[in-house]
Amino acid sequence: MRIIDIENLSFHYRAGTPVLEDITLHVDKGEWITILGHNGSGKSTLSKLLVGLLRAKKGTIKVGGLELSENTVYDIRKKIGIVFQNPDNQFVGVTVRDDIAFGLENLQIPRDTMIERIEQYARKVDMADYLNKEPHNLSGGQKQRVAIAGILAMETDIIIFDEATSMLDPKGRNTILSMMKQLNDEGVTVINITHDMKESLYGDRIVVLKNGKIIKDDKTDAVLKDQEILEKSNLEMLLPLRVLRLLESENVKDEKVRSYLWQLSLTG
Amino acid sequence: MKNIVIGRFVPGKGFLYRMDPRTKIIALVFLMASAFIIRDFTTMFVAVGLLVALLFVGRINIIRVFSGLRPLMYLLAFTFIFQLLFNTQGDLVASWELHYSPLNILAVTMLVVTWFFVRRRLPFKFFFFIATFVGVIALFATLRLGPAFATGTLNIHQNAIETGFFIVMRLLVIVTLSTILTLTTKPTDLNLGLESVMSPLKVFRIRTEEMAMIISISLRYIPTLLDEANKIMLAQASRGVDFSEGKFKDKIMQIVSLLVPMFIISFKRSDELANAMEARSFVPGQPRTRLHQLTWGFADTVALVVSLLVLTAVITSRVVM
Repeated sequence: MRIIDIENLSFHYRAGTPVLEDITLHVDKGEWITILGHNGSGKSTLSKLLVGLLRAKKGTIKVGGLELSENTVYDIRKKIGIVFQNPDNQFVGVTVRDDIAFGLENLQIPRDTMIERIEQYARKVDMADYLNKEPHNLSGGQKQRVAIAGILAMETDIIIFDEATSMLDPKGRNTILSMMKQLNDEGVTVINITHDMKESLYGDRIVVLKNGKIIKDDKTDAVLKDQEILEKSNLEMLLPLRVLRLLESENVKDEKVRSYLWQLSLTG
Repeated sequence: MKNIVIGRFVPGKGFLYRMDPRTKIIALVFLMASAFIIRDFTTMFVAVGLLVALLFVGRINIIRVFSGLRPLMYLLAFTFIFQLLFNTQGDLVASWELHYSPLNILAVTMLVVTWFFVRRRLPFKFFFFIATFVGVIALFATLRLGPAFATGTLNIHQNAIETGFFIVMRLLVIVTLSTILTLTTKPTDLNLGLESVMSPLKVFRIRTEEMAMIISISLRYIPTLLDEANKIMLAQASRGVDFSEGKFKDKIMQIVSLLVPMFIISFKRSDELANAMEARSFVPGQPRTRLHQLTWGFADTVALVVSLLVLTAVITSRVVM
């Protein structure tokens, strides 16, 4: 079942310098897609267009069958949550509890339900012991987990992670990634916007963006092995895949495998 | 930077901590009004007695109250001295003749210079300052060293003492009361209480919820911005800016080198925060439900009735007398 339909979407801040050009993208319910691209490829703009923070110059966006317009933007925001890049700049509440409550207060959820949901989703992101803590006492990863809880509590169908791990340390990044996986297993549609090749290993499908255009939209393993596309978008193929490629292309015997691995371990 | 305390709230026990912030704000207004209305000594002494009793019953940290009053000391002293010197109404209480002679002026100058040099090393700076001030007047009034080239008189009138006393007491009472409020109420609760107390202003199209939202976001971002300022200062220091030394002109340049990045970062932050808030369905001016609810208890009703009684009692005493 389709949950997001983007047709011929274009956007620019200044006429003549398009940020996104003729984007057509379909996302199925429960899918995990990775939007891969370098800085300035327009990937964050895409997420802002999806929730109506920016208005498209051309094309249509449908979320759950509902076309995005001035009248539907608030209904669409109830379906999509975004975890942004900077953990500090999306923490609205004075405490963890207040921050998870923020979205619920906006949706006018009754107070009793609110309290239940805060408990429930704080436990889910493993932040239940921190409910009364203030943001400056939390690590970046913990703040991102609170942001996730805030969105989960609003019970959206789709969560966009807009470079949500790029400001975290490896440990924080891994917890957020495993959380994405858990959520996706439970049926949440995940859109992960990133420039990190390792992150794109997870997920069903990769959409590669370059200069505002989709240059590849295919299954994860197909994209990760596609040397041409990766080079085109200035991304580096993962080391093991590179090894594999070399082995395949050279039709190597055992001894050669070793020497190649030696070389790779020295350079990579 | 990990343990920044915003406001002066210190967790504690006692009924004042458990009270609804709305009660505290309204009672504060009543009691402050009472302090202004009181015009006779007995009532003022009773009021101060009640205030001290409140400090003890409410188990307020007295030292913190005093530290709240300290910055007020100079203001109080000056008000009182000004009244003494320039209020000329009522009966004459005391009168001195001031003897301005070269030797007297020399003696006074010596006193002032001594004070100037030792003041940094003294405890109770404030009392020494007042003592020096009184000393200057006392020297002029009592010393008769050599012939005077001019004389003056210092007259102290009844009204000067009374008015001075009342101004000082009123200010003390008001500051103590508001210190009690800030000491016993969390900034977030205070904000919530203010919003609720101000809500009748909605009649005049003042959007109290948004004001409360602004205050609460400011409170939330103070530690973040302090952290940021610290980082920028370190970054600038590593480029050779010395924040601790330099002439006035250099100091301004140092502050500019801190403020410009702070402003740019803050604007960027606000933009991102606004996006994050909107993405989470925040619409300015739309009704929202609230996680935090203020609960009105029996103690609150009592406190409000008592403070209202104090106000009426003060008004009647003024009318009767």
